[in-house]
Amino acid sequence: MITEYLFWFLAFVSVFGGVATILSRNPVHSVLYLILTFFAIAGHYLLLNAQFLAAVHVIVYAGAIMVLFLYVIMMLNLNRLDAEKRTLIGKVTSAVSAGLLLLVMVGVARGGSEAGEAPAESIDAGLVENLGQVLYRDFLLPFEMASVLFLGAMVGAVFLSKKELNS
Amino acid sequence: MELIPGVTTEHYLVLSLILFCLGIFGILYRRNAILMFMCVELMLNASNLALVAFSRMWGDTGGQVFVFFIMVVAAAEVAVGLAILMLLYRNMGTTQTDVLNKMKW
Amino acid sequence: MNTTAHLWDYLPILIMAIVALGFVITVMALTHAVGPRRKNAVKDDPFECGIPVQGNARTPFSIKYFLVAILFVLFDVEVIFMYPWAVNFRELGVFGLWEMFAFMGLMIIGLVYIIRRGALKWE
Repeated sequence: MITEYLFWFLAFVSVFGGVATILSRNPVHSVLYLILTFFAIAGHYLLLNAQFLAAVHVIVYAGAIMVLFLYVIMMLNLNRLDAEKRTLIGKVTSAVSAGLLLLVMVGVARGGSEAGEAPAESIDAGLVENLGQVLYRDFLLPFEMASVLFLGAMVGAVFLSKKELNS
Repeated sequence: MELIPGVTTEHYLVLSLILFCLGIFGILYRRNAILMFMCVELMLNASNLALVAFSRMWGDTGGQVFVFFIMVVAAAEVAVGLAILMLLYRNMGTTQTDVLNKMKW
Repeated sequence: MNTTAHLWDYLPILIMAIVALGFVITVMALTHAVGPRRKNAVKDDPFECGIPVQGNARTPFSIKYFLVAILFVLFDVEVIFMYPWAVNFRELGVFGLWEMFAFMGLMIIGLVYIIRRGALKWE
């Protein structure tokens, strides 16, 4: 099945991008690998028939958030990281603790699974018409709260950068 | 449950968990606040992937609306977080968390 | 209005992506294979106008760019909210209109704050 191959390919790309993000020595490379991961995740969204989310994901994450990260990395002049002092025990501890957590959570996730196929109506769940219906009817309060959050973020960002602006 | 031919919910859950634990590993492993922040983004995306898979599983658009709101929160978080990091760099001259240990107990 | 979406609807997009990527890869491979290669210290210099190179190409720049980028991200996400609203404009009716007015009202308060604070001033 072509979708199965697509899934495995995208899964490989996203995990590879994640690993490379963490292990790259150059922070700019990290950002680029994370963008690769985000594109792979957008591909997963398309596979899962969440077309609108896939578009929004690319626009917001790859187009805006990662550009902001690149800005900061270039502005802080992090061409190469000042030799990170990582002890061997620190590396091993982080790898072991993350690995154990993964083991436990995968064990939980593999427990109760049912056979069968996803409901047919779920094919249309990601269409922008249906998403808008749910978003503006059932999720009215979170939607309005989002604007409060934006207001807070704007004021916060301007306030934090204000000192630099005046000087 | 087969979400798309040949791929079950479990596949997506395990993939999402792998990405999430990669994010946790990155936060523990890296010593630079910006890279740790990027790992937080990776973890948010892992949870988004699981939510979209569940939304497909139940045929419920609500899960995708959650993902939408998570993206909104991520954007706001990045705006304020990077401004804080910027200020930190201006004041302390570094974003390495092993140097910024004044509040360490 | 309710058209069922299927994966094969994306075939044109896939073909376009493959063609775009393939074009770039072929052209880059061709230039590397066909073009002449001369490498020495002078050729690899970032500037070739006779003046010795000074400093790094990546110098820190003003925080004003950064502030504009932050505000761009916020308003970018805000505009994305309007897309599902606009598609459902008729179904949501007057109620949806007021919903969006409340949302935009708070955003405009933020915009007024930004302008009054002089965050967008470029002198």
